[in-house]
Amino acid sequence: MVAVVTAFSRVAESESQCIARALRRRDSEFIGRIVSQYHYRLLRYLVYWTSRRELAEDLVQETWLRVLERAGQYNGRLRFEPWLFSIARNLAIDHLRKQQTATHRMCREDEAGVDLPAPDFESPFFAAARSEDAKRIAAALGALEPIYREALLLRFQEELSLAEIAQVAGAPISTVSSRIHRGLSMLQAALGGGADAA
Amino acid sequence: MPLENHEKARFLLHRALVEGISLEDRRWLDAHVGQCAECGRYADLSARAVRALDWFALELDPAAALRVENIVRSRAEEMRSAESRAKSLWIGTGVAIFLTFTGSAVTWRTLAWLASQWNLPSRVWQIGFAAFWLLPSLLLALLPLFRRRLLGEHSDSKGQTI
Repeated sequence: MVAVVTAFSRVAESESQCIARALRRRDSEFIGRIVSQYHYRLLRYLVYWTSRRELAEDLVQETWLRVLERAGQYNGRLRFEPWLFSIARNLAIDHLRKQQTATHRMCREDEAGVDLPAPDFESPFFAAARSEDAKRIAAALGALEPIYREALLLRFQEELSLAEIAQVAGAPISTVSSRIHRGLSMLQAALGGGADAA
Repeated sequence: MPLENHEKARFLLHRALVEGISLEDRRWLDAHVGQCAECGRYADLSARAVRALDWFALELDPAAALRVENIVRSRAEEMRSAESRAKSLWIGTGVAIFLTFTGSAVTWRTLAWLASQWNLPSRVWQIGFAAFWLLPSLLLALLPLFRRRLLGEHSDSKGQTI
């Protein structure tokens, strides 16, 4: 078992090093392939962060352009996913902060009588929900803060280790573990485990 | 059943999902969950909560995905071209500087010899050498590095020439 894990980790390491080399050399063909390969996962991650499909799609492109700019910072020793997601995360946070600043400015304008546009996004989780249970889960996911959604996604769908999630989130492992627990508790409550929520 | 057994079970259930547990803990947990209906339900709920995340599959727009791919690919090609040009520029500048100094050494010796033939004072031919050979050579060698500024070219935030 240890030999299999070691062999697998060697293969994964080689793939990371290939990606690092391709990024440094600006190998457009290889880069196009990895963009295609990671597109869904990156989009999903950004949807979990922003809860807005359109914004997430814009951020996907920005993330890849930022990856190209910072190619020299990735050496391929660790897996590519944590590095990619950490770049996406920082972009999402920057964008959400700018939006918050703009909202505060708009609020001041509102005091002067300017009409504010109403928020018009539909939760992508609701859009994807196909059953009543799924809608309950969608509501729970929508109510969670992005940091809890992020922890759930990275652990259970991206299957990153706690250390890798900590790298992406810039938080200690214990904090990551707490966030996963909190997120799971919310989902359990949505599914009917109310006695164990929070 | 003692309360601490339930607490231990829930702790292990959480830990098993998040980071894994030892074989010994797994055996204890399986035995407890098998006997305790409440913890069994909690375990089932935990597993369902994790599986619930798979319910949200995003529909991809292939055209949008291809658009992103093409944009990133183009940008990678632009960056490669720009880096290649910059590399050629530095190599050219390095060669020019090298030739300046080696050429200057040869010229210096030649002028020194000519000055000795014509009985010119050292100061005279040395000043002439600095003014009419060394300085212009150095400026010409460094010119490519300042080409952009001289021609009024600037780069935008993406490194493209405007």
